[in-house]
Amino acid sequence: MLITILFYTFAAVLVGAALGVVLSRNTVHSALFLVLAFFTSAALWLLLEAEFLGIVLVLVYVGAVMVLFLFVVMMLDINVAQLREGLTRYAPLGALVALMVIVQIVYVTWVRRLGLTADMAFPSAEPLRGTQGSNTEALGALLYDDYVLPFQLAAVVLLVAIVAAIVLTMRSRPGLKQQDVAKQVAVRKEDRVRLVKLPAEKGP
Amino acid sequence: MEKIYLAILLAPLFASIVAGLFGKWVGRAGAHTVTILGVAVSFALSVYVFNHHVLQGQPAFDGAVYTWLETDGLTLEIGFLVDQLTVLMMLVVTFVSLMVHVYTIGYMHDDDGYQRFFSYISLFTFSMLLLVMSNNFLQLFVGWELVGLVSYLLIGFWYKRPTAIFANMKAFLVNRVGDFGFILGIAGVYYFTDSLRYSDAFAAAPAIADVYFHLFSTNTTENALTIICVGLFIGAMGKSAQVPLHVWLPDSMEGPTPISALIHAATMVTAGIFMVARMSPMFEYSETTLTFILVIGATTALFMGFLGLVNNDIKRVVAYSTLSQLGYMTVALGASAYAAGVFHLMTHAFFKALLFLAAGSVIIAMHHEQDMRRMGGLRKYLPITYWTCLIGALALIGFPGFSGFFSKDGLIEAVAESTIPGAGYALFAVMAGVFVTALYTFRMVFMTFHGKERMDEHTREHLHESPWVVTLPLVLLAIPSIFIGWFTIGPVLFGDYFRDVIFVLPQHDVLAKLGEQWHGPAAFVLHGVQAPVFWLAAAGVATAWFLYLKRPDIPDAIQARTRGLNRLLENKYYFDWFNENYLAAGARAFGRIFWKGGDRMLIDGALVDGSARVVGWLAGVIRHVQSGYLYHYAFAMIIGLAALLAYLLVRT
Amino acid sequence: MNTTPVAGAADFALVAPEIFLLCAACAILLIDLWLPQRLRQVTYLLSLVALVVSAVLVAGLPGERMTAFGGTWISDPVAKLLKLVTCGTVAAVFLYSRDYLLARGLFRGEYFVLGLFATLGIFVMVSSGSLLTMYMGIELLALSQYALVAFDRDSPVAAESAMKYFVLGAIASGALLYGISIIYGVTGTFDLDELAAGLDGSAATNVGLLFGLAFLMAGIAFKFGAVPFHMWVPDVYHGAPTSVTLFLGAAPKLAYFALALRVLAEGLGSAVQAWQDMLIVLAVLSLVVGNLVAVAQTNLKRMLAYSTISNVGFILLGILAGTPDGYRAALFYVVTYVIMAVGSFAMIVALSRRGFEADRIDDFRGLAQKSPWFAWMMLFLMVSTAGVPPFVGFFAKLYVLQAIVDVGFVWLAGVAVLFSVVGAFYYLRIVKVMFFDEPAPGLAVSASGSFRFLLSVNALAVLALGLFSGALLDAINRALP
Repeated sequence: MLITILFYTFAAVLVGAALGVVLSRNTVHSALFLVLAFFTSAALWLLLEAEFLGIVLVLVYVGAVMVLFLFVVMMLDINVAQLREGLTRYAPLGALVALMVIVQIVYVTWVRRLGLTADMAFPSAEPLRGTQGSNTEALGALLYDDYVLPFQLAAVVLLVAIVAAIVLTMRSRPGLKQQDVAKQVAVRKEDRVRLVKLPAEKGP
Repeated sequence: MEKIYLAILLAPLFASIVAGLFGKWVGRAGAHTVTILGVAVSFALSVYVFNHHVLQGQPAFDGAVYTWLETDGLTLEIGFLVDQLTVLMMLVVTFVSLMVHVYTIGYMHDDDGYQRFFSYISLFTFSMLLLVMSNNFLQLFVGWELVGLVSYLLIGFWYKRPTAIFANMKAFLVNRVGDFGFILGIAGVYYFTDSLRYSDAFAAAPAIADVYFHLFSTNTTENALTIICVGLFIGAMGKSAQVPLHVWLPDSMEGPTPISALIHAATMVTAGIFMVARMSPMFEYSETTLTFILVIGATTALFMGFLGLVNNDIKRVVAYSTLSQLGYMTVALGASAYAAGVFHLMTHAFFKALLFLAAGSVIIAMHHEQDMRRMGGLRKYLPITYWTCLIGALALIGFPGFSGFFSKDGLIEAVAESTIPGAGYALFAVMAGVFVTALYTFRMVFMTFHGKERMDEHTREHLHESPWVVTLPLVLLAIPSIFIGWFTIGPVLFGDYFRDVIFVLPQHDVLAKLGEQWHGPAAFVLHGVQAPVFWLAAAGVATAWFLYLKRPDIPDAIQARTRGLNRLLENKYYFDWFNENYLAAGARAFGRIFWKGGDRMLIDGALVDGSARVVGWLAGVIRHVQSGYLYHYAFAMIIGLAALLAYLLVRT
Repeated sequence: MNTTPVAGAADFALVAPEIFLLCAACAILLIDLWLPQRLRQVTYLLSLVALVVSAVLVAGLPGERMTAFGGTWISDPVAKLLKLVTCGTVAAVFLYSRDYLLARGLFRGEYFVLGLFATLGIFVMVSSGSLLTMYMGIELLALSQYALVAFDRDSPVAAESAMKYFVLGAIASGALLYGISIIYGVTGTFDLDELAAGLDGSAATNVGLLFGLAFLMAGIAFKFGAVPFHMWVPDVYHGAPTSVTLFLGAAPKLAYFALALRVLAEGLGSAVQAWQDMLIVLAVLSLVVGNLVAVAQTNLKRMLAYSTISNVGFILLGILAGTPDGYRAALFYVVTYVIMAVGSFAMIVALSRRGFEADRIDDFRGLAQKSPWFAWMMLFLMVSTAGVPPFVGFFAKLYVLQAIVDVGFVWLAGVAVLFSVVGAFYYLRIVKVMFFDEPAPGLAVSASGSFRFLLSVNALAVLALGLFSGALLDAINRALP
């Protein structure tokens, strides 16, 4: 009973926070709403006894990604009003389509319960339990065992992302003015100072 | 063996590609070396194949070497049928082609399109071999069309001459008429047998012969096999220049003189004859078609000969004689004496090639003058040409002992034995044709080599024998022109050379009847000397001698008296006039009607422009959606996704 | 818990080409860092060597179907064929790109490294045995492509199109992932073989499965560029440097075909009824929109982009037949299309030079007078893409049409033929422009000898494969028995 109450509370907050992300006028607010959304989803995971995932979500997304995101948002000073122009213009149609998709999702997951029946040939997914009751170990075993290949490939994907980011941002533009400390230190007097002997000027 | 067949076929193609595409790099010498080598390889291997199949008596080869496409029930493949008939044609084609290649070195010496020409004639050899060696109708048709294409290119080789362009257009169009019949015939074969292989079609022929169906109206029934065979023969008429589709051949002399003439006259035109002989198991069952063939052939044989009498262009005289001789071959086919037709084809290839090359040699010596009225007395300037030409002429008129005698005499006697309707007319035509042939042939010989020297001073001073590349083929061709008949008539006409290859119904088998009286070539010659055919030919020669050497004034007088007849002949029976003024003009008029009414208004106006406008409008509308705005794109995707979802939910 | 190791030497043997390719890409990335600009050719050559070696390794894989890493990896004849074609295509793209990149100061090692990573992504997709592996392959390929599109950093057009591609790609990726998670939720497995074994005829009416399938389908359609998920195609093709367009237009199509084949045909084969209908809609829309809009284009790259969309319609037609014949026809189509697409885009590269992109149709005016050989090569490519016999494009279309007629979709074949005729118009317009218009000023083919040679081989292959389509057909019949 308590769990059910908690679940609906967190779920409601999550949905509210998600709406806040999209609808908030201030970008910083949006980012903070996103943090809230992450927190509540982490809580939902904890309710499902997936402690590791919940903690990772908080650590990685809230701790690292979102902070970075906030920095970027604050530094860029995005003009939200301009971006919203398109949104307001297409809002009715957008709302209609969104409503349609929501209805469809609700219908399928709630009314039809995803069509799950007892006679499907698949073994129903058992909740993961490690030997000592922690699912961290079980998750690790799964990642390095059954799904070792996709897991390693994920690393490659990250590598490519890094390479791509560097390719697109690091550049030595020809006309760029940069400071070269070594050069500055190594400079000699002869390079910079030129003594010019001027003949004395004759008086008028 | 399949590899050898392929090599025979592909060597000229390869040479042609090298000479055609890389002509600049290989140069003139390179072009003729590679093409001659290619054809020589083909010829040598053909001799090998001849030895394999004929002398050693290996069974014929019939099989596919490559399957190109296989769809429901229709198999398109490249395959070979190599038997005695094929081998014979392969030998003739490669040998004549080889001669032409050598000869071309001399004849085209100063031409800018040297490499191009060699490429064409090699391609021609390839196409002809493809046609001859085929084991199915599709490949036959491809070869058939390729030959037509190369002939189009060769006739128009000097593409800056308007007459050449006109001539090649004409050849192309006339051949299209024939090809239309041909493709209908092939379609008929496929319709009734569900296969394009010869073997299947031949096996099914007796059954198709009993099929009747309504083609033109419900009141009349047509025999299926007759329809097929007539269609195929119409194709042969186009390629082998039978009346009334003969009009392109004389004009084809616009090509580089003796060579394209020779290719057309000695090799390409035999495709039709070969095809009918090949299809003998089908034509045999359709007596109607045989009669049709007989009448067409006889008409061509006689009436085209007359035209040779009034022409003064040396090449055209030879060309008309070719037409007439093709008529003879066709008559033989119609009389079910396929072997005689093919035999005449073979001997004719040699002596007609010889005559053409001789005419070409004369033309070279005369500095590209082709009018016989400006020649005369060339005997002492061109001795080799004269003697070889004389041999060719004697072979052509069927002088006893020469190759032409055996084939022509055998052919005429076969026609005499035939009982197919129309044989009487055919016999008359071929007999009269003998006289006409002798007359125009020796008219040409006398006007060119004997009598007064009518050329101008300048030409006379420069007259000399042609170089060895020209005379060597002449001599090489003269030898078989004399002797080949003597050795081959026995096995080919009366022996079993063509057993299992050419099929003749017992009631049609005229050659078997002749064979009962066969006592060797010497007896045949002796018998020939006593026969009317010989005397007709002798009379022709005598008449020519009298009219053109003894009393050269008489022909003019005759011409003056018989103005109407003369005009008829000079206008070639008004075939061209009729074609141009009625068929071509009519077609143009029809074309204009369809163009204005159908094309401009309906198709262009409504369909093409209309649909183009609709397409353009739609494209404009859709392009508008492609606005470049990211959220438009994202929106389109989401809507698409929602639609997919909606559809699925409705489904379940 | 499972104590026996899932992965052994046998498993690693099956991913040897991928491991090599990954190591090679990383090594080249490092080597490139220490190379001065004048030795940049070394990177290029090493990349080609890497492709050749991976091709050799792929060729050495066993010929029968094997799985590795607990079913997340499949090594079978189709994968082998597709990987070999991929190696060849990417190598050709590198060769074609060299001069183009050199002339524009874009000749940097990252182009080749990203190209190799994309190739790795294609390999992974082609051999995926589970939805997770597939997703990793998709992302690997997609990320490399985003970066490649934005490769020319001084071009605002390229940056804009890369941005569009990235955002839309993210949406599609999200949809795909959502679909995968739904399917996992319904079935409890990512493994395609287990899916195929566990699903039966009722799968086509299972609402949860279909729900996931719809999202999955949206992702697949986006990757292919099928209407209405096609909007990115023209903008990206147009905006990206031509050498990148060359890449985008060719090899990834092989991977997307594998995606459709593995997920739809192999994994969700029992739900054929459901995805067949969706594919019909996508295919017809692609044929209609692709062909119609291509007519109105004046930019050759955009035109070819729409032509891609219409060709995707044909590939989808082959897949939606849902029969082995259909898959084979689609495979034949995709392989031949890739060959033709590489050649067509390379033609633009051949005519372009520094400061001049030659990507308008008008830039091809009178090419036949300036360079008859290349005009003929382009003619071969265009005529083949239009589907004229005896070029290979004709047979590709023919087999697809045959496959869908065999399953009773005569009307679909009719639509396909009708819009192919519309399509023939714009291909032949190029031919008309090349052969009958007066030459555009400054038109010249500026290409190195190896480029010319490769392009000639490429174009002649289109003819040769048509004349001897049996060989390719045999290979495909062996790959997809």
